[in-house]
Amino acid sequence: MLGPMRLEDVWLRYHRRGPWVLRGIDVRIGPGEVAVVLGRNGVGKSTLLQVAAGVLRPGRGRVTDRPARVGWVPERFPADQPFTVARYLTGMARVAGLGRAAADEAVTSWTDRLGLSAFRSVRLPELSKGTAQKVGLAQAMLRPPGLLVLDEPWEGLDAATRELVPELIAEVLAADGSVLVSDHRGETIQLPAARRWLVADGSLSEETPSTDETFAVVEVAVPAARVAGTVARLRAEGHQVLRVRSDACAAAPEARPAEPLRAAGAARSAEPPIGVAGALAAEQSEAVDAAVEPAAGEAR
Amino acid sequence: MSALIRMRLAGLLRTGRAVAPLLAGLITLGTLYGGGRAQPAEAYGVSAVVLFPVLAWQTKILLDVEPDVQRRLAQVTVGVARERLAGLLAAGVAALVTVAVALLFPWLVGGVSGPVDPGDRSIPVGLALGVWAHLLVVPAAVALGALASRASVGGAGYGVAVLALGGVGAVVLGLTGSVAPWLAPPIMAAARTTGGDAAALTLLGLSGWALAWSGAVVGGYLWRRRAEG
Repeated sequence: MLGPMRLEDVWLRYHRRGPWVLRGIDVRIGPGEVAVVLGRNGVGKSTLLQVAAGVLRPGRGRVTDRPARVGWVPERFPADQPFTVARYLTGMARVAGLGRAAADEAVTSWTDRLGLSAFRSVRLPELSKGTAQKVGLAQAMLRPPGLLVLDEPWEGLDAATRELVPELIAEVLAADGSVLVSDHRGETIQLPAARRWLVADGSLSEETPSTDETFAVVEVAVPAARVAGTVARLRAEGHQVLRVRSDACAAAPEARPAEPLRAAGAARSAEPPIGVAGALAAEQSEAVDAAVEPAAGEAR
Repeated sequence: MSALIRMRLAGLLRTGRAVAPLLAGLITLGTLYGGGRAQPAEAYGVSAVVLFPVLAWQTKILLDVEPDVQRRLAQVTVGVARERLAGLLAAGVAALVTVAVALLFPWLVGGVSGPVDPGDRSIPVGLALGVWAHLLVVPAAVALGALASRASVGGAGYGVAVLALGGVGAVVLGLTGSVAPWLAPPIMAAARTTGGDAAALTLLGLSGWALAWSGAVVGGYLWRRRAEG
């Protein structure tokens, strides 16, 4: 069995005189392990994932023992291609080395599983963002990968498919594969066993689970128009936003102490409120965990 | 790798972007052959010169049709070396199809004639020299087109500049008395050879020159893409 994949003193910058995006990254991930890559926008999460997947070559350092079969789900699936869903996936299955029959079987299986059957004959540019993202997910899974790299895989997916992502990750792990996933929506809360890599200023640190911190969950109702700002502010203050939901019941701005702690903010406008459930750390944590479910109608 | 080659060729055909260079080539050849009948070797020598920028353009289009992220997906799936090679081979296959059309074209429009004088080459010999001249152009044009592709130079403007510089440079630097003929692929020298003395050693030398030039330019293309994978 292959040992852990290692990133050894990896440095990367996009231009010769440009700033280093990654600086001396030293990390390893073994078979059966999943790591969530966290960090603010623009700190190099996608770059790190692309180095791990083999899309980018480090300017310094090296990546060793990368599994032979890598499945990469890019942040944005390249839908501007003149193929139908079925033809594209069959082509990618053949490119991955599957024979004609095996390719057809894999495509049928994954289109069924990801709810793409009705889109098999639809051309890629005509797909919605979420459906295109499913095609991106399918192409990575056509041949069971030894390393699955998911760059914001939940982006644009419908609720049913979002639930499926942890399932797919579990399958890769069960087959002794490794998984790297970035996430700013907080969906990785569904991966409790995941290691947490925090990227900041081009460096990577591994967050160790804290046992002595006490957390409480506070439910806050805010007008729909102020959700984004509230979520951003809570995160900026170091709180973990667990999810955002549309909630008609939250219109009653009455505080309802319960277990765990709940609080409802007064809705001052006529707009329907949105519930923001967040974990307020008793002591401000440096980790910003993004666990936000889209408000109704956001996901297609 | 053949699956990736097929996928890239299908991408080129399905977008319809292959039509523009093919039309440009046919129009130029039509103008060329419309001027009167010539013997195969001579006509094909000039045809190969005309096709050089057309094939380079076609290569650039083929490589640029694929979105950048899709190219990276292919790289992750088959590996760096195979991804690069598949692109060059797909361009080579597309170039050979265009060459076949170019070789057939003068016969369809009556642009070639058989030997007239006793010392003239026979049609098979002229045809063989013509095929050689065209095949000499293919690797050089594919290399130039790859160097001009988006994956190599980034912006579209730089790509056009590389194509234009390469196309014009091949003609200008290939003229008799050029100060640096080795900077260009030997397409002009090949045209002169097919129309004049085509000694075996000359053909061999020009073939080696074309391959060396193409290898150097492909090296530049790979070097430009070194940061990927």
